Amino acid sequence: MSIKSINGCIGCEECIKSCPTDVIRLNPDSKKAEILYPEDCQICHLCRMYCPVDAITISPEKTIPVIVSWG
Amino acid sequence: MKKQNEKQEMSRRKFISLAGGAAASLAAMSAMGMPLDWALNNTGIDVESLDVNKISTDVLVIGSGMAGLFAAVKAHDAGAKVLMVSKGRLGASGQTPFAKGIFAFDPEKEDLSLDEFVVKVSRSALGTNNNAYTKQMAQHSLARVIELKEWGFFDSSLYNKSFSKPIVERNITVQERITITHLIKENDKVVGAAGFSIDEQKVLFYEAKSVILCTGAGGFKPNGFPICDLTHDGTIMAYNIGAKVTGKEWNDGHPGKSENVAACYDGWGDMFEQKPSTTGVEIRHDLGVDMNYVAYNNGSPLKMGPPGSGEQTKVSGGPYTPEEFMRHNDTPPGGKEGGRPPKGGKGGPPKGGKGEGAPPGMGGSIVGGSSAGMSIHKSEGLVPINDQCESTIPGLYAAGDALGSYMAGAIYTQIGSSLAGSAVQGGVAGEAAAKYCKNINSIKISTSKMKEIEEEILAPLKLEAGYSPAWVTQTLQGIMIPNFIIYIKKENLLKAALAYVEELRDHHIPMLRASNMHELRLAHETKNMIISAEMKLKASIMRTESRCSHYRLDYPELDNENWQVWLNIFKGEDDTMQFEKQPFNTWPV
Repeated sequence: MSIKSINGCIGCEECIKSCPTDVIRLNPDSKKAEILYPEDCQICHLCRMYCPVDAITISPEKTIPVIVSWG
Repeated sequence: MKKQNEKQEMSRRKFISLAGGAAASLAAMSAMGMPLDWALNNTGIDVESLDVNKISTDVLVIGSGMAGLFAAVKAHDAGAKVLMVSKGRLGASGQTPFAKGIFAFDPEKEDLSLDEFVVKVSRSALGTNNNAYTKQMAQHSLARVIELKEWGFFDSSLYNKSFSKPIVERNITVQERITITHLIKENDKVVGAAGFSIDEQKVLFYEAKSVILCTGAGGFKPNGFPICDLTHDGTIMAYNIGAKVTGKEWNDGHPGKSENVAACYDGWGDMFEQKPSTTGVEIRHDLGVDMNYVAYNNGSPLKMGPPGSGEQTKVSGGPYTPEEFMRHNDTPPGGKEGGRPPKGGKGGPPKGGKGEGAPPGMGGSIVGGSSAGMSIHKSEGLVPINDQCESTIPGLYAAGDALGSYMAGAIYTQIGSSLAGSAVQGGVAGEAAAKYCKNINSIKISTSKMKEIEEEILAPLKLEAGYSPAWVTQTLQGIMIPNFIIYIKKENLLKAALAYVEELRDHHIPMLRASNMHELRLAHETKNMIISAEMKLKASIMRTESRCSHYRLDYPELDNENWQVWLNIFKGEDDTMQFEKQPFNTWPV
């Protein structure tokens, strides 16, 4: 799962800015952070550490995609 | 070599016809009503109407980790107009946010003199270090640490605030979340760079009298080590405009945890949450690849057991450690350079006593090779032509992990010196670049060059069908990361892997597709990783000996007669990858 959920977001964008792999983006409608590219999460926790309201939950597991012969 | 070049040229020509054929057969399949969703590129961007912006500056600093910070500050203080661009965020980019120890050489507190320090580092590094850069790092480290202290660096585990202080005070512009893909050279000098914003759908050109690459190193996006977004972008961009690069045969030896291997944070425990601190002199020979050798011979890394588990982990042979630097206990290697701060802040890395030598946070079973694709910090990157961080291309400088300075050598020799070296080299490069700018009147990127680069940047968005960068990266990881390819090396398997990588280079790079700006970044990153893999394999094949972090099962001994040299890589006139030897402790001819 890597980054799992964002609950209680205040829309400050700290997590978006500090994610090294562009996993999180601001939802243009809700103006809150949303997990858009979870497969690129490297579980470094910078987003969680920069979040001022402790809204981010992270799991240590990563879903590795299945191997296929094309892509 | 000529034969090989001809072969490559053949395969390029073959590729061109194949690519056309593939497109044609896709069309045919589509006409037959066969589903093609997996190949189609559903671009949600109107590529033809993307904005193109151009900005001019004196010094362009690319990257915003420790090296970038000092490059920007010192170039500004030396009188240059500075612009910083970052793929991520100031102080939260590259590997800097995860480095918690910084070496400070205080001559009043140390038993060793500066020169004795350099000599001892060189003994541990088996001659692979560059004495000028080793000395420079130690000499300037304390001054940089004092500045960092003034900015509040040691007051928080998160570095954005302290890094912002000197940048804001100097009114230096910082552009974040910008992916730079190209360096631009006109009339044999660097004149700027180009890339794109991942947020604003913009192509960006930067005209600059001088460029400092503070782009870090990279890896194959491996699991368990915080390399994150570093994919050797700086090295490959510089290589593409003719710069010499070096150090691709060495391997960083940091381990990861066998449970939840992908979790960087969990591997390092609470270290990421700690405030940074300083380290003093303690010269070591931290290999890492010795753990890969044990795992290669004993099978499942789980059998290695927890650190300090004793006899069962021992195997004969393997990577060489000089007697002087052998640790006669079971301390695993891999003290993170700039790594875990000492308990209680008393200085020095965790001591090697039995049972207390586990790498930070890794109380469980540890597995070698979590940082696959990365060389030793400071031992890969652009070849410097002097001790001023200047590359082989006028106007182009590099600092920190983007510079192949061999500051520590091809092995980790001093805890905390990586972060210190980035700070010191950033400062040196900043001042040198500012000085260089004073003699440059004006620069201009030609319209034709801009058009050509814009096409290359946007190509993945324009493909109607192709390969997803995620899949190509995963394929590359499958080829490169196994222990028996990248760590425990032998000629036949290196060559086998190279055949795969050349296929990715010739057939897949041109067909990397992207449907949005996030994927566009992935496509360019993937391309860089593939070229870096080619460099790594070819350099590993060439170095027919074992030394420091480069271990050849078929050439397990040191070969001082032939290999007291660094291996430089550059693009030949026919665009093929060329190699040259440069004797240790010399500058390129």
